[in-house]
Amino acid sequence: MNVLAPDAALEGRQSAAPGEDRAKTFRNALIVAVAYYVGAEIAFLIGTLTDKIFAPFWPPNVVLFCALLLSPPRQWWIYILAAFPAHVLAELQVGMPATQLLVAFATNCSVAVINALLLQRLQFDPPWFGSIRKATTYVFITAFVSPALCAFGGAFVQILGGGSIENYGVYWARWYASNALGSLTLSPIALICIERMGSFSFTPTLRRVEAILVAAVLAVTCLFAFKEDTSIASGYVPALLYLPLPIIVWAAVRFGAAGASGVIMVISLALIWRTLNGHNLFDVGNAEANVFAMQLFLIGLSCPVLLLGAAIEETRRAETVTREREERISFAAAHSSVGLWQYDLAAGSFWATDYCRTLFGLPSGVPLDLDRLLNRIHPNDFPMAHAAFQSAIARPTPLEIEFRVQGRDRGYHWVSARAQPIFGDDGNPTAMTGAFADATSRKMAEAEADMQRHEIAHLMRVSMLGELSGGLAHELTQPLTAILSNAQAGKILLAGDEKNLVEIGNIFDDIITEDNRAGEVIHRLRGLMKKGEIKYEVVDLNELIASTLRLLHSELIGRRIAIKDEKAADLPPAHGDPIQLQQVLLNLFVNAMDAMDGVAPSRRIITVSTRVTEEGGIDVRISDCGMGLPKSHEQSVFQPFFTTKKRGLGLGLPICASIMKLHGGTLSLQNNVSEGATAIFRLPPPGP
Amino acid sequence: MREAGFTTFLVDDDPAVLRSITRLLNAAGYKTKSFSSPQEFLSSHDPAVPGCAIIDLVMSELDGLHLQQALIETGSDRPIIFLTGRGDISTSVKAMKAGAVDFLTKPVQREALFSAVKRAANVDAALRQRRNESKSIGDRISTLTHREREVLEYVIAGRLNKQIAASLGTVEKTVKVHRGRMMAKLGVRTVADLVRLAEKVGIAPAHSMVG
Repeated sequence: MNVLAPDAALEGRQSAAPGEDRAKTFRNALIVAVAYYVGAEIAFLIGTLTDKIFAPFWPPNVVLFCALLLSPPRQWWIYILAAFPAHVLAELQVGMPATQLLVAFATNCSVAVINALLLQRLQFDPPWFGSIRKATTYVFITAFVSPALCAFGGAFVQILGGGSIENYGVYWARWYASNALGSLTLSPIALICIERMGSFSFTPTLRRVEAILVAAVLAVTCLFAFKEDTSIASGYVPALLYLPLPIIVWAAVRFGAAGASGVIMVISLALIWRTLNGHNLFDVGNAEANVFAMQLFLIGLSCPVLLLGAAIEETRRAETVTREREERISFAAAHSSVGLWQYDLAAGSFWATDYCRTLFGLPSGVPLDLDRLLNRIHPNDFPMAHAAFQSAIARPTPLEIEFRVQGRDRGYHWVSARAQPIFGDDGNPTAMTGAFADATSRKMAEAEADMQRHEIAHLMRVSMLGELSGGLAHELTQPLTAILSNAQAGKILLAGDEKNLVEIGNIFDDIITEDNRAGEVIHRLRGLMKKGEIKYEVVDLNELIASTLRLLHSELIGRRIAIKDEKAADLPPAHGDPIQLQQVLLNLFVNAMDAMDGVAPSRRIITVSTRVTEEGGIDVRISDCGMGLPKSHEQSVFQPFFTTKKRGLGLGLPICASIMKLHGGTLSLQNNVSEGATAIFRLPPPGP
Repeated sequence: MREAGFTTFLVDDDPAVLRSITRLLNAAGYKTKSFSSPQEFLSSHDPAVPGCAIIDLVMSELDGLHLQQALIETGSDRPIIFLTGRGDISTSVKAMKAGAVDFLTKPVQREALFSAVKRAANVDAALRQRRNESKSIGDRISTLTHREREVLEYVIAGRLNKQIAASLGTVEKTVKVHRGRMMAKLGVRTVADLVRLAEKVGIAPAHSMVG
């Protein structure tokens, strides 16, 4: 049976060369003809051996059906044409008259054509019997619809052979049963064998040994069960019929559709063999009736077994697909440095992809569970992470946290975690699912960007101080002048005849005061010059503004700019890095000063105000009376390298904006209604 | 070469610097008067008091150069020493052109300060002497009669008696009398002395009416 090469037979498949294609078709047609003839001979042989009028099934129809199903409809005529001489040859041997022969061939062809046509239409394609839908379609069409239809014609074959027209119903039933049985017992295993022929090999595997063993045990059991033994009371027959059942189920469960169709064939062969040898299990009267009973038994048995095999096959394929998909996802996740996990709340079971081991530095032997993973978290991050995972069950939005994890080598690396509850039908969380990802490289990039930003901020600070150096030097010169003059006066006084000790004491007092004053200037400058870590502390913004203005004192005087102080008296303390905040203030003041270069000295006024916002934050405004922002550039001022100054780098405001962002605050710039611009610097209320 | 009552007027809006410079000058025996506000200094300024001003260049109310200008506008020629934290060249040139005695950079060394004050004192003394001299010449000139004054202007213009007589419509003899009286009143013996004296008080020689 397994002679049709599937590659040549599948519809729509185009071979490389048309000549080769034709040769293959010719070869297949020849095989069909031979198989058809052999099938007919086997049927006649069975019929002769049993001395009965007809065989339980008619193999030539199975051959033709398989050939048509496996080939495109445009080639069907070739196989029908090839089968015809075989049919004529076989039937003439048994002395069938021409009319009967032709009607028989016509009905044989029609059942094969209807079967193949409907099945191809209904997408019955390999893998054959791979799903319940396919198996049901197959059984419904080939075991019921088309044989039932064609039997109306087939029944005439016997009438033409001399049968009485009154027996039309019986002939119809016989013809139907033999065709349906052939489709159920021979076609499935034939189709599966043809399908798997390409990948078949003779290497004995444990599975093949098991298959052969199951077939052998089944055959023996069947031969035993189907034996009409006089030592066993005839009442046991139904019970004996159930004997092969465990093996049938075993084969179907273990080998799916192939197992199911295989056992059907074995049972059929065993039953026929027994029947041929005179063991009539179904002795219901005459020979025809006995065969018909056997046919019904086999049809009734085959249908559920075939469906069972298909169901098993479908489940197994679904499992394979699921497993492959899971493997693919795990593979993809691992390759993108992501580990997936799920925690079942009710069962307390934890599942995670293998990459989680790598992420959490666990050796491959250790079983994965949530506690083991959490225990790898850095002790400082553990309480936060633990609390976050606990709270994630109740969160409607996905949790996203980052923590450090002990790697397999002593160091720690960063892991970002996402967690999200899965809710059951009752709205209660049933599981937690999520992903772990290696965040070390991102964290490092962030740290590097932070460092660079910090570095640029420092450079800007230093360059700004450079621009202000004249005024800053003057801030130092004043106390130094006072100290020097005081000391020189003291020296002169000491050299004189009458030493005014009170005055000398005053001189020392002044020297100390002025020295401290110079010290303070240097202290402020050093704070701005140094490149320290960002340190958040409690900051009095009013004091910070005053200190900044003290630094700018000489510069303001030199540029003849007056400061209008509108600071709120009861300003709450803010939270931030005083150096960075002072840099922002300094930058805004310098901008305000620069903006008023072209303004008459009497109108050079900078107004600085502080107030508490409605949200409890702090709002600092620095207004100038300068030319204001160019109309089209109100937003551009925060773009890097945008500048309106001749010698500006265009980094001052972007850096200030990034410092404010770091503090959770904002920085904005707007033109005043009358003249000049106002910078608004806003800090959020201190966090908890 | 300090006159009695010579005072240094200090103007600086930084009280600590003001106090320390005052102290230094006091210790060196100078009489000082200090002002933390340039306006206060201007309004109480008495040019009759001999002395010099030491002024901070950078002040919030009125900067040093503007104060110098304001002082000149009141007709005072009091010598000024500037003190500055940053000595840029253009400012110092401006200050010196407007008659500043010196331009000192803070912190100032006492030798530099004292020598500048000394120079300022000399300038002040010279200015005062010149002012006194021209005042006495003016007094003497005011005793001349109208005709004597006319003769004076012709004499310093280098005219001969005969020419002067022709110009004034009189005789040479009369001119000679006027000329002798005029020279006696002014206390000069030669024409050269007369010319120098007239120059000091700014009397211009008469323009010749005839060739």
